[in-house]
Parts: sequence; C-alpha cells; structure tokens
Amino acid sequence: MMADTILIIDDEPQIRRVVKNALSHEVSSVLEASDGAEGLAVASAQRPTLVVLDLGLPDMAGIDVCRSLRSWSSAPIVVLSARHSDREKASLLDSGADDYITKPFSNLEFAARIRANLRRAQASQIAASVQPMTIGSLVADFTARVLRRGSETIHLTPIEWELLRTFVTQAGRTLTHQQIFNAVWGRAFGDPQQYLRVHVANLRRKIETDPVRPQLIVTEPGVGYRFELPR
Amino acid sequence: MTHRPERRWPSALLWTAIFLFSTWVMVGVQGEITEAHVALLYLLVVLGASSGGGRGVGFSLAVLAFISIDYYFQPPYARFEISKRPDWIVLIAFMATAVVATQLLARANEKALEARRRADEIDRLASLGAETLSTGSATQALTAIATVVRDTIGTDTCEIWVHQGESAAPELAAQAGAGLIAEPPPVLPLAVIDPRTKVVPLTAHSRSVGTLVLRHSAPIVLDAGASRFLSALAYYAALGIERVRLVAEAERAEALREADRLKDALLASVSHDLRTPLTTIKALAHDIADDGDERAGTIEQQADRLNRMVADLLDLSRLNAGELPVRAELNAAEDVVGAAIQQVSAAFAGRELRTSIAWSEPVLVGRFDFVHALRILVNLLENAHKYSPKSSPVDIELSRVGPMIAISVADRGPGVPAAEVERIFEPFYRPERSTPDAGSAGLGLSIALRLAMAQGGTLSYADRSGGGSVFTLGLPAVADAAMDALAG
Repeated sequence: MMADTILIIDDEPQIRRVVKNALSHEVSSVLEASDGAEGLAVASAQRPTLVVLDLGLPDMAGIDVCRSLRSWSSAPIVVLSARHSDREKASLLDSGADDYITKPFSNLEFAARIRANLRRAQASQIAASVQPMTIGSLVADFTARVLRRGSETIHLTPIEWELLRTFVTQAGRTLTHQQIFNAVWGRAFGDPQQYLRVHVANLRRKIETDPVRPQLIVTEPGVGYRFELPR
Repeated sequence: MTHRPERRWPSALLWTAIFLFSTWVMVGVQGEITEAHVALLYLLVVLGASSGGGRGVGFSLAVLAFISIDYYFQPPYARFEISKRPDWIVLIAFMATAVVATQLLARANEKALEARRRADEIDRLASLGAETLSTGSATQALTAIATVVRDTIGTDTCEIWVHQGESAAPELAAQAGAGLIAEPPPVLPLAVIDPRTKVVPLTAHSRSVGTLVLRHSAPIVLDAGASRFLSALAYYAALGIERVRLVAEAERAEALREADRLKDALLASVSHDLRTPLTTIKALAHDIADDGDERAGTIEQQADRLNRMVADLLDLSRLNAGELPVRAELNAAEDVVGAAIQQVSAAFAGRELRTSIAWSEPVLVGRFDFVHALRILVNLLENAHKYSPKSSPVDIELSRVGPMIAISVADRGPGVPAAEVERIFEPFYRPERSTPDAGSAGLGLSIALRLAMAQGGTLSYADRSGGGSVFTLGLPAVADAAMDALAG
C-alpha cells in the first residue's frame, strides 16, 4: 500500500462511498468534499496526491474547479462525468484534467485508471530521460534516433519520432488531438492537424505487434490518444 | 389635390389703397413734381403690390398707374390725350419696367414658396423616418405613416396592407381615417379604372412586401409634389413592413433558442440523473459479487443494459431532433476498427474475432465522424456476437470499394430471413426468434443506419455465402492523391 492521499469532490454521498471502496486497496487515505468550494479548500490544506472530480457539482462548473486546481497544484485530476460529450472531455483535458472516467464505471476499471495516474505522477518523465529507453520489446534511442525490435531496425519519419517522443514523455496520460498537435507541430496551423490521425496509424503499423489491437497507443474515441508504457 | 390659392384679397385691397393715397398726394403737389417723380413712385407701389399681392395685383396697378400718369400728370391735364411725343416714351418705359419687374418678382416669389414647401416635405419625411425606426412597435410606425399620408394627400382613408406570401391573402396592418370598412386592396388594373382609389405597391429589397391604398369620395388627383411625397412615404411604409417582419423573425428565433436551451438542459439532466444511480447500483453489485453472491453479477449486467438503453433513447431523440452533431474529420479506418475491437473485447472474451486488413497497402483514410462510426461498428459486433454461436468466429474486413471505405462484420449466425430484411433497420425491431432479454431495446440498427447516413455513409445487409449475415458500413474515402500531400 502506498502513502497516497486522494481527494474525492462529489455531491453524491453514494458515489463518494463507491469511489472510496474501489480505492481502499490502492491508497492510504481518502478525503471527501461535497462541493467545489469545499474541494478547493481541502485540496489547498491537505495537498492530496490525486483528485477525483465529479462534473455535476451544485456550486461550480467542473471545468472551473479543474482550472483553479491546476493553477497551483500538479496533482493528477481524474474527472467523473455522466455526460458523454467528447467535446467536453477534450476541453476538460485541455484545461488541465489528466484523465476522465465516464459513469457508470466498473470498480476494476476505475481502480486501474487511478493506479495508472498515481504511478505516472510519481515517475513522470524520469523514464524518458534514460537513453536508450526500453518500451516493451522495443528499444528507442531518441538522441540517436534509432528504434529497434530485437535485431530489426525500424525506420521512423521525423514526425513519427516527434509523435513517439510526445507519447513516451507523457505515458499514461490521455492527450487530446490538440495537445499532441501542439507538441509535435509547434505553432504551425492548418492542414497538418488533419493528418495527425494518419501519422498515428502509420506509427502504430511500425511499433505495434497488431495495429488493430494496439498495446502502446490506445485510442480515446473523439478525444485523443493515450500511450501505455508496458511494465 | 392642390391646396394653393391663398387668400390674397386683403393684400390687393391694401395696395390699391396705397396707390389711391399716393395718387391723391401727388395730385395735391402737382406743380412741384415732374413726370419722373410720379413714374418712380408708381413703380415702387407696383413692385410692392406684386410682391405682396402677386402678379395679378401688380399688373392691374401698373395699368391704373399708366392711365393716371396720362390723366393727371401729362398735359393736357385731366384728359386722356397725349400732346408731345416724349410723353409716349415715358409711358411705355414705365409700363415695360413695371411689367418686367412684376414678372421677375413673381417668379422669385414662386421659387421661394416652392423651396419652403420642399423643406417642409423633407422635415416631415425625416421625422417620419425617425418615427418608423424608433417607435416601440413597428405597427405603431405603420399607423403613423398611414396618418401622415392621409393628412398630407387629403384623402378619406389610407390603408397599409401586408403581403403574407405568394398564396395568402394580404393582411391589413395599419389604417388611418375612420368610417370606411376596409376591403382588401383592389388588383392593380381595377385601381386604374376607379379614379377614387389609388394603389401604391410597396417594395423593399426589390421584393413586393405590401400595398398602400388611398380611398376618397372624389377622384384622387396628385400633382408632382404630392406624387413625390407619396412615393417617399411608400418607401417608409415598405421599410416599416420589413421591420415588422424582422421583429417577428427575431422573436421566433429567440423562442427557438430558448426551447433549444431547455431541451439541452433536459437531456443533460436526464442523462446525469439516470446514470448517477446506475453507477452506484453497478458498483455496489460489483462489491457484493466480490463477496460471493452470484446474483449480484446479474444486477451489474442489467445495470449495464439499462445504461445502454438510456444512451440509445437519448441518441434517438437527438437524431430525431436533428441535433446529434456530425464531426467529419480525416480518420484512419483501421483506427476505428481497432477502437471497436477494444470496446467489445470484454464481451468477446474467449471468442475469436478475426480481422482482414491489407497491411502492405497504404493506410485507408476516410472523412467521417470517428465516434459515430465507432458506435455503429460496436453495435454490429455486439449483434454478431449475440446472434451467432459462440464457437464460431466473427470476421471484420476492411477494404476500399470505389469512393467508399467498406468495413464489413460477418458472422455464422442464422442470418436475417428474407421477409424481415426490410424491417431490421426500423426502430424497436427485434428478430422474431430472439429471446425477450437478448440485450437492448432494439434501437441499435436504426440508430446505426441514421448515424451512417448523417455522415454520408451507408449501412447494408447481405446474406453471407455459406450461411450467416454480413453487415457493411460504407464511409466516404479520401482519394490517395489527396493523401500524397502527406510528406511525413
């Protein structure tokens, strides 16, 4: 058991209980807040390692709580939402949320996602600094730009290298199309953004064992992609 | 309908009196003055009379002065005789000067009067224009215009009729002048026949928006000024009608927006309010199942099923309202296939799901809505899983067919009986042999078909050779040439 403190901001006591139960094996303590203002107050006093935020709060829009938290805290924010609007998910991620989970969710899925976010918070970006880096059966050297699977060398285009670097350095985190585009293309605007998904498809063909059952680059429909670092 | 002849009699009498008085004075001092003094003084009187009393008075006094000069001030005195030739010159010069001066003065006067009338007209139009634009209701402005037209032109009534479209009868929007029953405006040729009615078509943006109708007990005759004034007012009336229409349109748009907001709020709250208890039920059932009660597993499954039905019903209502937005973007077809396989992986656990994709060919790229396409494929895969033996594999094939990307899902189930093929895409359709709790509300395929069509795609069924069914989703492909722009 890790010494993590998690804050749940949700106005429904039942949901708080469910979340608490699901996380009982994952974390050492769970704090609760029933609205946005209380949540922000508890967060600033107790400094939780992760925040679970429900979007349907009575006093504040979830996205405002998210922005406010993110302005001074780097703790991962996992959003709970009953609305299935992808645009909303994308704008949440763009404004600082790290992950979202759609209601109704299964305990297993929920616990797994929380675990992944905690792990990333602890080990973020450290892995990427070691060169060459091992990604499952792949060995990638980002400085020399060499990618190998066993003895086979895989050729990547410059854009595919940038994509892979972006994914690896933010592994475990759902990145919106916009965030990926900004990281890879910088300030360029216009057409290239349209081709982002085609580049991802090409990269998958090169690094995944089965591109329609991807293990590394996971699609978040309507939102973006998430890179899963194999353990 | 001119209303000119002003009362000029007082002025004519006044100047005749002045003429008589000055003649009397001059006759009194006859010995001390010459013809020149007399002619100059008379000239002054004639000019004064023509400026004050008009051309007629001027001319009359000029003739009287002519006679008076001859009679009183030229020898032989007190007789209508001219003894010397120069006397003629004086008389004719006087007469000519008087006539020319009178003429010039009268013309200048008329010009000044005309200018004043125009200035008045402009003032009235300007204030009317301001009124048209600023009155609380556009109907009030139309009534104001009708009143001004009636008062200015001097007819019994003035009506403004609004055209409600090609077929509908015109509607009376404003009326000035009481006592007359408003009849619909006469058709134009008829109005030409009856001189007591005048019909002015109202056009705005080169479109006929209404008719202005003047009715009078006597024939209506308009001079140039009145015609000009009427056409200017007709323009204002047209603008007023246009304003009535725009105001009504704006109100309708506002009402629609309000209804939209309400509907969105309702949909959001329904989805939130139903899903929150479902989350609790599902999670608690999961906990109980972990404790060893198998019945809790069924509760969890049914919660999932209820959740899918809520989603289906919400989507169907959004589709019906035409408000399920389609975001057609460039997408790789294999990406959506992969996402669909990922979503059904739990349901397919232990079952074979085979894919046929040409990996040596370039990535197939289409312009479609990723989330909707995914919804369709997941539905097809779930159906295939549900309606075919668990021991048989389900096949997904990805190919390019002309301008479309074809993604087909094939199973080895019983297929769809020929009699039912027409009905499978209807809402609430359910295979006749299926068990009542086979899964969903039977909305899946009808939603899938409409989602496909909304993004320019197709969804079709075919019997599979060797038994089973093949559902094919067609999505608009992007030409390879366009993809060559992808330099890497």
